[in-house]
Amino acid sequence: MSANLVDRYVFTALRRVPEQQRADIDRELRASIEDAVDARVEAGEEREAAVETTLLELGDPDRLADSYADRPNYLIGPELYPVWRRSLMMLLTVVLPIVVIVVAVVQVLAEDAGFGEVIGSAIGTIINVGAHMAFWVTLGFWIIERTGAGKDDINRPWTPKDLPRYEPGALTRVQFAANLVWPAVLILALVLQQFTFTEVPLLDPANWNFWWPVLIGLIVLKGLWVFWVYRLGTWTRQVAVVNAIHGVVIGGVILYLLAADKFFNPAFPGFNGVEVDLEGWISVAVMITTGLSIAYEIFDVARKAEQARKGLGVKVPGTGNTYTAS
Amino acid sequence: MTTDATLASHLQELRRGTVVVASLTVLRTPGYGYSLLETLSESGFEVEANTLYPLLRRLESQGLLTSSWNTDEARPRKFYTTTAQGNAIADALRTEWARLDEAITDLSTTPVKE
Repeated sequence: MSANLVDRYVFTALRRVPEQQRADIDRELRASIEDAVDARVEAGEEREAAVETTLLELGDPDRLADSYADRPNYLIGPELYPVWRRSLMMLLTVVLPIVVIVVAVVQVLAEDAGFGEVIGSAIGTIINVGAHMAFWVTLGFWIIERTGAGKDDINRPWTPKDLPRYEPGALTRVQFAANLVWPAVLILALVLQQFTFTEVPLLDPANWNFWWPVLIGLIVLKGLWVFWVYRLGTWTRQVAVVNAIHGVVIGGVILYLLAADKFFNPAFPGFNGVEVDLEGWISVAVMITTGLSIAYEIFDVARKAEQARKGLGVKVPGTGNTYTAS
Repeated sequence: MTTDATLASHLQELRRGTVVVASLTVLRTPGYGYSLLETLSESGFEVEANTLYPLLRRLESQGLLTSSWNTDEARPRKFYTTTAQGNAIADALRTEWARLDEAITDLSTTPVKE
């Protein structure tokens, strides 16, 4: 019975020890256990009880095996943990929302999905894509942790330059990226809706002669403007003025097209066969949203420029602190 | 955390590493796992078997110990001996230990500056 217990213990520990060390550890571990048991028996213990206490002191065989194999008993160590956390936070707070928005836009355009459907699939996307992000990032870091490959590349030493910039107006790298992704998504959606989302394109194909290329050009200009602001590192009056002009122009184009019934494709099947003038109502809704969001954007940039000019501080999110550049 | 638990965790922190010095020192005369465990606990080093046995193999793979199987007796045992390199390292560690001891003593006897 007691020999049995030792066998079970040793075999369990050896399962997780590298092959080439097994025979040696087997012999040594048995000898050590028997030495300890003998010492206990000599001190007057029952043999069976002595075996049990000895094994109890050696503890969990899996843990012992980890120790023999010199394996870390953690998933991601303290060296990589901050990088892992930062990467995952970036994915979940920046990339995930973008994916959710893109999926929602595609659904509305392609499948003519209703409000409930869009919300439902947004929740599904958050859970599904979020789980994938968490899993693959963690797996990647785990592999780096175990193999050490590329560890120095992603874990480069921190310098004060890495501190986030709180200067009024300066775009952080993440904001910059998000601001570039948005125009790209818009252009992509505009082009793709012509070909793939629906059999009959949602937007008026006649505009490809002139208005859609103009709109794409204007969106590209917005991207260049973002790049300009990022390089400049601060909001200035010029930035605000250019933004306002751009907003008025792009807003004017969209509003004109909507008002003149040239925006949506009149042949789009979703609009027909309904009693109400669906196209007209949607046009009004899009006009209001476009107008409001462009007006807000112009105001927001102007406010930031004004703040930067006066040297007012900015609120650092989540801390209640106000940072003032001096 | 209670005071006891705090003390225990600090003590553990302080003792970490002493087992290496002690083992390298004791094994200047060859010894096997269980005998070393006994010697260490008699000399007042609190060390668990499941820490010591893997540690011995690690020190061997670092070249600080060598080992050989002794099959003369009924029970074959793996004997470990400190190598020249192991001795040198143990010397360096002991010197550091002495330096730290001296430094701590200095700190605790120097009157507090106004």
